[in-house]
Amino acid sequence: MDKSEGQQLLTGAQKGRHEEFKSFVRLDVEPFAEQWDREQRLPESVIDKLAKRGYLGCSLPREYAGQGWDTVTFDLLNEALGRGSSALTDVVTVQAMVSMALLKWGTTEQKRKWLPPLAKGEMIGAFALTEPGAGSALQSLTTEFTPNSKGDCLLLNGHKKWISCAQFAAVFLVFGTLGQRSAACLVPRETPGLHIEAISDLMGFRAAGLAELHFHDVEVPSANLVGKPGFALSHVAQVGLHYGRISTACSALGLLRGCFEESIAYAGTRKIGDKTVGDLGMVRSLIARMGTDLEAGSLLCHNACRAEDSHLPEAFEKTLMAKYFTSRAAVRAASGAVQIKGASGCHGSSPVSRYYRDAKIMEIIEGTTQIHEDILGKIFVDQAGRFGK
Amino acid sequence: MTTTDEKGIKETVKRFISSSISIAKLDDDDNLFESGIVNSLFAVQLMTFIEKTFAIEVGTDDLDIENFKSLNAMTAFVLQKNGHPNG
Repeated sequence: MDKSEGQQLLTGAQKGRHEEFKSFVRLDVEPFAEQWDREQRLPESVIDKLAKRGYLGCSLPREYAGQGWDTVTFDLLNEALGRGSSALTDVVTVQAMVSMALLKWGTTEQKRKWLPPLAKGEMIGAFALTEPGAGSALQSLTTEFTPNSKGDCLLLNGHKKWISCAQFAAVFLVFGTLGQRSAACLVPRETPGLHIEAISDLMGFRAAGLAELHFHDVEVPSANLVGKPGFALSHVAQVGLHYGRISTACSALGLLRGCFEESIAYAGTRKIGDKTVGDLGMVRSLIARMGTDLEAGSLLCHNACRAEDSHLPEAFEKTLMAKYFTSRAAVRAASGAVQIKGASGCHGSSPVSRYYRDAKIMEIIEGTTQIHEDILGKIFVDQAGRFGK
Repeated sequence: MTTTDEKGIKETVKRFISSSISIAKLDDDDNLFESGIVNSLFAVQLMTFIEKTFAIEVGTDDLDIENFKSLNAMTAFVLQKNGHPNG
């Protein structure tokens, strides 16, 4: 039984859903995660299961066929899934990034058209922001939208890379420039001129369906623009990245929990002479760090999600802190878990070897650790320098 | 003075900005975006603060730099969203 402080803060409904999520992961995710990782693909059947359970539209309001769950429940879903498979959790992450950006900045017509199929999982979305030459430096985007002479269509040219879920997504939220202004536009997969090239052999997140997108004179209706040109990076992308960070922070927490649980189970049973591995002081040190990071990360995630549920402006920086903390703690924990399990932890049959590879990806996606430090450092320094005091 | 009159709205927004970013002085017509003191993260935080504090929703039609560029602009925007005739 989880007696952590984070668990004590949950409502009865949240605890009930958390048990449901954990049961789903135990039965339908954990037994297959290694195979998905090895084959570098997620079967349609497991994405269908996410859809049928409402997990792909869990944060969207009921009026758009979503579940209307609060952000704390979204946290619990991502943590439970992250314990089982980072790659599968990435589908939930990206779906939330596209859906929540559209919910905030889409027109009424766009929301009516796109959100119900996204909420029901009939359509998977992908967030096409990163380019070969523009990762964290978003101002360097070279993908271009050009209006046609009538003004009813845009011609899209450019190249996106490292786009999660792009191998199977049905619609892409593509970021680029329109004249001198940033722009975001929904582009259906079947649009002529869009070529999708799968990326394989990643270190981690191997089943997350990453791909490159090549746009050659792709014609999209101007009605597909999301938000006004000039606000795509500052507002549309920010909302998407915010939900991406919430999801990734909680997914990393789940991975950390997996490392902790694998480590204590092994330490308590693996014999060395008449002692167990857990009797060794250096192993206890590794487990102590993991357990403490788990409690701290759980509270940081919970605080960020509660702030989001209360629609507080500090939700953004609390989410940055949670993602910054849990992604780094996951890397430490995965390294420790492999160390504790020794040779058996280095083999693909042990989840900790996959955790070790997936954890590092958590420090890269939705803003690198260094970008988080730059933003958070500035926020803290600014708070100390109010009005020059 | 309440948070629903012009002076109250302006003071409330000014307090939030001054507690969040390092700025020596902020006049009512200073352009926050041209000065470079507002980054994209703070722009969204500021929007969220305005939504929460004044119980309004900023939608895609409101995405206009003229609505957020200064204390006077934000005050007028809030008044207008709340149906004030001078907004």
